[in-house]
Amino acid sequence: MVRFKNRWLLVEFIPTSNGSATQLDGYKIWEAVRQSVLNNFGDVGWGSIGLSINVKYYSPTTNICIIRVARDHHRIAWGAVTLLTAIEGTRYIPNVVHVSGTIKQTQLAAISHNREVIARFRAQAKTSSAYKDSYEEYLKTSAMEIEALHD
Amino acid sequence: MFFDLNVPVHHPQHSSAQISKKNKGKQAQQPAEVTYTPAQVAAVEARLDLLVHLGYTVVALNQTVQTAVVPKVHVNILENLIQQLKPRPGIVILKRLTIVLDQESEKGFGLTPANASIFKPYDLIALVPTTLSTLSLACLTHSQPSVLTAHIIALPLTLRLDFRMKHTLVRTALKNGTVFEINYVGALGGENDTVLVEAGAAESGASAKRNWWATTKEVTRLTKGKGLIVSGGVVAEADLRTPRDVSNLITLLGLAQDAAHSASTSAPKSLVLRAQTRQTYRTVFSDPVLVIPEGTMPTPSVTSTPTISSSDTRSDKKRSREGEEGEDEPPQKKGNANGPENSSRKKKRKKNAQEGR
Repeated sequence: MVRFKNRWLLVEFIPTSNGSATQLDGYKIWEAVRQSVLNNFGDVGWGSIGLSINVKYYSPTTNICIIRVARDHHRIAWGAVTLLTAIEGTRYIPNVVHVSGTIKQTQLAAISHNREVIARFRAQAKTSSAYKDSYEEYLKTSAMEIEALHD
Repeated sequence: MFFDLNVPVHHPQHSSAQISKKNKGKQAQQPAEVTYTPAQVAAVEARLDLLVHLGYTVVALNQTVQTAVVPKVHVNILENLIQQLKPRPGIVILKRLTIVLDQESEKGFGLTPANASIFKPYDLIALVPTTLSTLSLACLTHSQPSVLTAHIIALPLTLRLDFRMKHTLVRTALKNGTVFEINYVGALGGENDTVLVEAGAAESGASAKRNWWATTKEVTRLTKGKGLIVSGGVVAEADLRTPRDVSNLITLLGLAQDAAHSASTSAPKSLVLRAQTRQTYRTVFSDPVLVIPEGTMPTPSVTSTPTISSSDTRSDKKRSREGEEGEDEPPQKKGNANGPENSSRKKKRKKNAQEGR
């Protein structure tokens, strides 16, 4: 059987200290990745991944994004994400946290990454562990959204 | 364990106002006093924090010098800085000196035994050759094992090299243990170290990116992926990338996945260990220790085996002048059949060793 195989990239966009972070969404990220592929890899690069690339999920709180690409040329997409310097004018550091072939692993990685980031926020805020903050609710809703993703 | 062996650091008093077109090509006069303002130290701390956050554990702060190292003018800007940084457990910070070689350096650029004391505090020495003759100097003369070996050759990747790199030069350099460095900041078209830009060894912009891909592919082809390390050279914070992303970028050059991974992990690791040989006498890991073999000196015992404590055969780094301890081992291993005789043998051997020295 010749199955169509994908790669799921879990990307975190780390905002740099300069400039105000404008609100991103899935479409802006897709557009930025498209520009990056066209600039760095040309029409050939865009042609090999353009039909299959999809931004499946984006969370503004933790700046996490899930992108699905076809497996054959996923390295071009990965390289283009790395070579991205700015989205809509503000500079970011793209950090590909996890790459997998199934959506299940990506979901698990995304949920554990969210938990780490929230833990880091909480450690910086230095609140006591009994304090109920809005992060708890965010973790639940984001986990539900991530679990709801399908192929 | 991920390495970033090129984190550029500038002289705190060196401002762009001092650079004039007249001074281009000459060594810029650096004030002898190296004092860092708290803001500058905080900036370096923030950069290190970000590097640690992205996953790098070993970082080398890089001081770049143009054309030649003049003993009277040279100041070590890193010593002062490192003392002021807060201690980070688990993170290693190294000191590196990079010398940009241009046509004027062909006659000599200060990497001589006379100036050895200047180079001793640096853990790594790197050269940036911009002409064919300086490349052959770097690959042949300065890759020879000595106290002054330049272990890293960082070609100016964003320049259009007007000379063809010869495979024989590269091969000799690799055999002697030097590595070729790839700075990923060129692929992003990012801002380069100002000293490099002044020296004409780096550019930024659209043509810089194209040159980067061309030159890096050439370097990868010549080295066949073996003596390569990848490092940052990043000045602007937003150009930093995680080690995995950088590995993937290197894969796009045509390098195999395992070679790309080793270029950011095992290759720099062995480089750093190899560079430690510069701190030893004649690049042998520790001073040779003279041991008199049993049979040559008149002793009552005949049956003991001579101990080999010449350091060349052992890769044990920490063995310094402790040859006596090595000699004590064989008598103990033989068992305690003859207690008092054993101890007398030990004493005699110690005495003999001391006499022989």
